[in-house]
Amino acid sequence: MPQDACDVAIIGRGPGGLQAAIHAAGKKVKVIVFGRPERSSLYKAHVANFCCFEEIVSGKQLLEAGKRQAESFDSVFVEQDIIETKSENNRFRLVTENGETFSAIAVILAMGIARKKLRVKGEKELLGRGVSYCVDCDANFYRGMDVAVVGNESAAAAGALTLLGYAKKVYLVCPKLTITDLLHEQLNHSDVKIIRDAWVKEIRGGTEVEAVLLTDGDVLKVNGVFVELGAKGAMELAANLGVVFDAETFSFIETNKKQETNIPGLYAAGDITGQPWQIAKAVGEGCVAGMEAAKYAKRLARS
Amino acid sequence: MAEQGVLDVNDGNFESEILKADKPALVDFWAPWCGPCKAIAPVMEELEETYGESIIFARCNVDNSPNTPAQYSIRAIPTLILFQNGKVADQVVGAVPKSHLEAFVKKVL
Repeated sequence: MPQDACDVAIIGRGPGGLQAAIHAAGKKVKVIVFGRPERSSLYKAHVANFCCFEEIVSGKQLLEAGKRQAESFDSVFVEQDIIETKSENNRFRLVTENGETFSAIAVILAMGIARKKLRVKGEKELLGRGVSYCVDCDANFYRGMDVAVVGNESAAAAGALTLLGYAKKVYLVCPKLTITDLLHEQLNHSDVKIIRDAWVKEIRGGTEVEAVLLTDGDVLKVNGVFVELGAKGAMELAANLGVVFDAETFSFIETNKKQETNIPGLYAAGDITGQPWQIAKAVGEGCVAGMEAAKYAKRLARS
Repeated sequence: MAEQGVLDVNDGNFESEILKADKPALVDFWAPWCGPCKAIAPVMEELEETYGESIIFARCNVDNSPNTPAQYSIRAIPTLILFQNGKVADQVVGAVPKSHLEAFVKKVL
C-alpha cells in the first residue's frame, strides 16, 4: 500500500476520532487520522463526568493520551485539516491543507461542530447579498470584484487562495492565523492581502455588501464577505459526497446504529451526529464507527 | 402534475415556465459543485411530492443559466425563490431544514 493510501481515514482528532482510530487500528487495518487537537471542543474543557475518571481531568491531557494510545496501535497522525473530499471507484480521496492527496477505502467523519457565524452587525441582514459561508459555492459570483475572507484557519486560508482565481482583490482578515507552514508560505507568495491586526466589527451595505468595518477602525471596500471560520465541517466536506443531514436542523449527519451514513464506506461519530455534546457519547460512537469502518475496508479490499 | 418531479428550468424557458405560470413556483438556484445544494435537493423532491399539485418545484443550474440568477441578484447558492404571479414573493438563502422550507412554501398556498 503506498504511503498516501489507507484503509480507514479519520477526519477529526477529538475523542470520537481517537476512539475510532484505536478500534479500527486494533483490527489490523491501516489508519490515518487527520486534523489538529486544538480543533476539538474537548481541548479547552475539563471533564468531570466521564466514567471511570474520578478526578477532574483536562481535555487536552485526554487528547494527548488518546493520541499515544492510537499510535501504539499503529495509527498514523497527519496534523493537517482536510479541505476537500471526493469519492471515485469505491475509494475516497481526501486533500489536505498542504495540497497532499490521500486515498481511503472507508472514512469516518469526526470533525465535531464549530461556530460558523461571525455574529456581527450586518451579517444576517446581508446574507446572500454579499455575505457567504461557502467559497466553493459562491466564488463564481464575485468575478472581477473585491472580497474579504474572514477566518484564522485552513478553511479561510484555502478559501482566499481559491478566490484569487475569481475576484480582483482578496483580503484575508486573520489576526490569529493557525495553518501549516506550507499553506502560510503559499499565502505569503500570493496576491492575497493579509490583515493580521484586526477582526471584523461590522458588515456594511444597503441592499448589498459595500464594506467591512474592522476593529481597528479601518474600512475595507468590498462587494463580498466570505465567513470561513475554523476547519471545514460537515456541510463543506460531507454534503458534496451526498450525505443526508438531520431533517430537523440540517446541521448534523444522520447515522444508524452502526454509525453508517447513507453513503457506503462513510461513517460519522461524535458531536457531528448531534447532541448530547458529551465525551462519553463521542467515544461510544467512535468505537462502533472504528470497528465497522475496519470491517468494511477489509471486505472491500478483498473484493 | 405531481409525478413530474422537480422541473429543470433555464434562461431560455424561465419566463414561460415560472413567471407566466398559472401556479406559484419555488425555484432552487443551484450548481453541481455546491455541497449545500446537494444536501437540499432531496428536500425539494419530498416537498414536490406533497405540494406538487399546487406549486411548481423547479431548479435552475446557475452554471448553465447565468442570466436568470443575475437578474435576481443571486450571490450565494443555494438560493430558493418563491414566485407568485411573476414576482418574487419571498426568498431564502442556504441549506435550511425541511420544516423551515415547508413553512416557506405554505405562504403561497
